[in-house]
Amino acid sequence: MKYMLIHVLNEAHLGDMPPEVEPELAAWADEMVGRGVELDGARLARTATATTVRTVDGRLEVTDGPFAETKEQIAGYDVLECDDLDQAVAVASAHPTLHVGAIEVRPFDDGMPTPEVPETVAEGKRRYLMLVCADMRRAMAAEREAARTGAGAEDEEEDTSTIDAWCESVADRRIYGFPLAYPDRAVTVRRVDGRIVTTDGPFAETKEQIAGFDLLECHDLDEALEAARTHPVASGGVLEVRPLWD
Amino acid sequence: MNGAGDQAALPLSPHEFSTSWGRLVAGLIGWCGDWDLAEECAAEAFAEAVSAWPRSGVPDAPLAWLTTVARNRARDRLRRRTTERAKLSLAFADATDEVAPVHDEDIPDERLRLIFTCCHPALPMPARVALTLRTLGGLSAAEIGRAFLVTEPTMEKRLVRARAKIRDAGIPYRVPAPEVWTDRVEGVLAVLYLMFNEGYAASSGESLLRVDVSAEAIRLTRSLVELLPSEPEVRGLLALMLLTDARRPARVRRGRVVPLAEQDRRLWRLDQVAEGAALLDPSPPWGPYAVQARIALCHDAAADPEDTDWATIAELYTRLPATPVVELNRAVAVSMAQGPAAALPLVEALTDALAGYYLHAATLADLYTRLGRVDEAAGALATAIEQAPTGAERRLLRERLEALGRSGGDTA
Repeated sequence: MKYMLIHVLNEAHLGDMPPEVEPELAAWADEMVGRGVELDGARLARTATATTVRTVDGRLEVTDGPFAETKEQIAGYDVLECDDLDQAVAVASAHPTLHVGAIEVRPFDDGMPTPEVPETVAEGKRRYLMLVCADMRRAMAAEREAARTGAGAEDEEEDTSTIDAWCESVADRRIYGFPLAYPDRAVTVRRVDGRIVTTDGPFAETKEQIAGFDLLECHDLDEALEAARTHPVASGGVLEVRPLWD
Repeated sequence: MNGAGDQAALPLSPHEFSTSWGRLVAGLIGWCGDWDLAEECAAEAFAEAVSAWPRSGVPDAPLAWLTTVARNRARDRLRRRTTERAKLSLAFADATDEVAPVHDEDIPDERLRLIFTCCHPALPMPARVALTLRTLGGLSAAEIGRAFLVTEPTMEKRLVRARAKIRDAGIPYRVPAPEVWTDRVEGVLAVLYLMFNEGYAASSGESLLRVDVSAEAIRLTRSLVELLPSEPEVRGLLALMLLTDARRPARVRRGRVVPLAEQDRRLWRLDQVAEGAALLDPSPPWGPYAVQARIALCHDAAADPEDTDWATIAELYTRLPATPVVELNRAVAVSMAQGPAAALPLVEALTDALAGYYLHAATLADLYTRLGRVDEAAGALATAIEQAPTGAERRLLRERLEALGRSGGDTA
């Protein structure tokens, strides 16, 4: 199964990172790539570089800043191939982010292929992570209700034609992207007093929750924002576009 | 880092200075891709002009002179740096270098790229305003800080963050693509109008220390009219600014804001009224700025408050997006054109939409007063006083309440 690690930390405490973090990070990555666990991952530039796209009063609006104001900010991500959640949590528990922050572990939707991410960025381009966010609380509640009443499995053939058309239209700048399982499938890993503590749920309660992401490679921010503006979720949710750490 | 040094020593009008500065910085950013470097070297070039031009006279092509000086400074700085980014900038700059132009007319005007980037929606609004004033208008961080009542370090930090976001998030330095063109032009106009209004509001108070930001907004919009001749709303905005600003000499008396009806109209600047009126397209369709400009013109054209063409004003308000505040203004115009009875249902219909907005209660009070419904007027005034944001407005409303008591006593 594939899992996403969402690294979060309070940016104000970035300077408190112990110096051993860098070599630890390199060792973690070496090991996880070697074991075939780590498929992709990157650090993100600070939230000051983030830009969001959402619909307000029927109009698409571009604004400065991340999709939600949270105590801890998203600082990076990893895509893992693991046997199960326990293994994913164990892999997260060994990550140096836990010196200063936390890691949300969440499965992707089933059936995602192995991402192919070129090692080097094309000349004159840069990479952006686009977080696709939407308020999924109602959908989650409906799903729970269906499970309770046993109604479930009502062949809800999801219509993927609009998202397919979008992928097609941004094929020149989209490397790959995956939808995530609902946030109620997430666990968040922290280190408290030297012990690893796992809590149920995402790293923060926000109005919109992360529903998936796309990795983009663009000449500039406007190209990335164009992909966000035309995304099917833009009409009801929020898309955050942020460059990867340079 | 001071703006352009002692620019007052240069034989340039404020408009000439602003234009030269904006064109110089715009060209330098296009040349080296580094906003900080471009601004620093533009400031140094102007500083050199301050010492050289009074001795040797203004060169035939001042912008070409400034560009050459600034580029040489930039090259020196880039050579001293050792970072990869600097080497890249230098290589790029050298590659795109051309023979210094002899005439200023031969230098392309790149200010359009600059203004679209400064007003990019990915930047916070206050940063857009500050960055536009700095890079296009040539105001220093200290001057902009004074205009917006923040300290120089705070303003400097705001500018540094904005430039960092442009660099780190990859905000492009170019005019926007056709699919976002309309939105982005609107965005630029919104920044300029906000700048104008902030400056205009500030001109009521402790204005002596303040830089005239509304004059700067007018200057920049004037330039934009030249740069975007096919966008009628740019002219509409310039007209709106000029037609509003024309009343400025009469707007404040002894430190207090004078209501429109009580202003000494002989002080209004008729040259600005004429210029603003000439910018307006004679027939619709008119964009929101052009419509607001026409409303301003209706006021400006009245030698006495009684001469105001309220019927036209009421009609013009129907051409604006019908927000509750627009509807309230329309109701006021209707009350002047057709009497308070016609306007009352319009204002009462807005009670929920404008709950908590003191001007709604104040307008209601005015209509009740004119209809002789004194008790209801007093009630509405009490609400307005409670909701009024500043002491000056509360004072004005209390005076009205007292006047109501007296006239109420007379009629009772």
